[in-house]
Amino acid sequence: MPVIDAAGLSKYYGDTRGIEDLSLSVERGEVFGFLGPNGAGKTTAIRTLLGFQSPTAGSATVLGNDIADERAMVEARRNIGYLPSDPGLDGTVTGERLLEYYGSLRGEERRGELLELFSPPLERPIGEYSRGNKQMLAIVLAFMHDPELVFMDEPTSGLDPIKQERFDEFVRTERENGVTFFMSSHILSEVQKICDRVGIIRNGQLVELENIETLRSRGGKSVHLRVAEAVPPSAFDIDGVANLTVGSGEDPPRRDGTDSAEATAFSFTFTGRYNALIEHLTDFDVLDFTIEDAPLDEVFRRFYDGSAGPEPDDGTDGEESSEDVVDRGVS
Amino acid sequence: MLEIARYEAERRLSGSVIIAVGLAAFAALFIAITPEIIGEVDYEAMLEDLPPAFSSAFGLESFDSLAGILAGEFYTLGWILLMGLYMAYSAGSTIAGDVERDRMDMLLSNPVSRSSVVLEKYLSLFVPIVVVNVVVGAVIYVGAQVVDDPIPLFDVVAVHALSVPYLLCCAAIGLLASAAMEREGSAQRASMGVIFSLYMIEALVTETDFGWLGVVSPSRYFDTNDILVHGTYDLVGAVILLEASALLLVASLLVFQRRDI
Repeated sequence: MPVIDAAGLSKYYGDTRGIEDLSLSVERGEVFGFLGPNGAGKTTAIRTLLGFQSPTAGSATVLGNDIADERAMVEARRNIGYLPSDPGLDGTVTGERLLEYYGSLRGEERRGELLELFSPPLERPIGEYSRGNKQMLAIVLAFMHDPELVFMDEPTSGLDPIKQERFDEFVRTERENGVTFFMSSHILSEVQKICDRVGIIRNGQLVELENIETLRSRGGKSVHLRVAEAVPPSAFDIDGVANLTVGSGEDPPRRDGTDSAEATAFSFTFTGRYNALIEHLTDFDVLDFTIEDAPLDEVFRRFYDGSAGPEPDDGTDGEESSEDVVDRGVS
Repeated sequence: MLEIARYEAERRLSGSVIIAVGLAAFAALFIAITPEIIGEVDYEAMLEDLPPAFSSAFGLESFDSLAGILAGEFYTLGWILLMGLYMAYSAGSTIAGDVERDRMDMLLSNPVSRSSVVLEKYLSLFVPIVVVNVVVGAVIYVGAQVVDDPIPLFDVVAVHALSVPYLLCCAAIGLLASAAMEREGSAQRASMGVIFSLYMIEALVTETDFGWLGVVSPSRYFDTNDILVHGTYDLVGAVILLEASALLLVASLLVFQRRDI
């Protein structure tokens, strides 16, 4: 039996769509990534599956329990962990007290072990915590009762890169032990790192279900490059380059009237091997070079236009923050 | 069992102590100044000049003893109004406050039912009720002996004990508002507004032809003058208040169970 099984699950807030006709199933031991731009309905899906809000239509089971059956869900939650993106934690108590409280409600057999990996300052009031410390405390809370299934909503938001890496590693180990994960994210590289299978959600609807290899091959990187001197566009007509745009990379004219150095700027999506690209670059005098995750929207535009699912009609996808992608997706 | 109640109770303790100390100081001040009031002002004459609706609205019934002044002023102001409003305010934050700050998600990700959350949060409201009643009751009893106008221990215990159903009822009004409303602030304002309006209805209509209107007001069922001045205890009133609290609690459970958070 699937650990999560949703059939036609929909949630509307009045006329506002949360999720629409969501059908998917997640098997035991799977890390399922739920990928979509901000505002696509990822959080709504998770909160509906946890029974925090009742579906407008459709049904779902979690660990074999009907999400609409409160009594069954109360029992099921003994084996469920929940890690929200911005956990609502009582700021007036210390981390220690909150762990003790939640431990008394859900169990805490793995608390010590988790605190060695993730170490929020337990003796301080939570109100004084940094974003990262809060997230670490929430991670301990989500896993301390040794759950079989964990829902994670943008789980690494606020964690520094080292802690992020540690968290990814932890999730992989847990998966080996048979824990199932349902994880939402708007960052392609994040789901690529730890997920087995990915559902892409857009405007409340599931657009695609992909295994991670397919997605990886379709994803690609966004490359921005500035090289000295005038270079023709054909110079970057190599394997793996798509959507090439060329511009003047020149500095603004100088005040003293002398010409600024000639340069050319290239932007393209790269899906080939890094080594090939790096080798190719040795032929040029590179002034500037950035490589980052292609923004989700661009991935969608390139691969899903006309082939699957409806297109955005209301511009809600514009919320996708390319800044986040740049910040966190640089490889 | 009762972990939520214990946690919530712990968080209420410091606030309750502050309220208790404040009201105890207020009580001590009252006790300190009453011998002068009793000795110097002819309240009997003054009361006769006032319209009955007015004097009953402000609980001015008997001003010739410490017990009478406490019942009419201190308990009317301090308990029926202030404590009633404080309980409604505190209860108003219980559910709506957690929902608004996303803490309810975290709490309900535990294996706890929504009804136990509501019930246990309500139970935690016993903390301010008990702390304030015990502290201020002790101050009143001891203070009355100090100024040599003692109030029988049984009466002091009775007035505080019978205030418990009244305060529970005020809290239950706040709880229902908190279970039904989206925002903590609105739930608090709404429930305080309801308590104050109900108090004013009862206070203003009680001696008029519209006296029947006051039956919806919790303050009708808790009369401090009856207890401290006349030595009569409205046990039926206490039962009515407890029943009303139970009904409001059940309504809160039902509302919260059906609600999206």
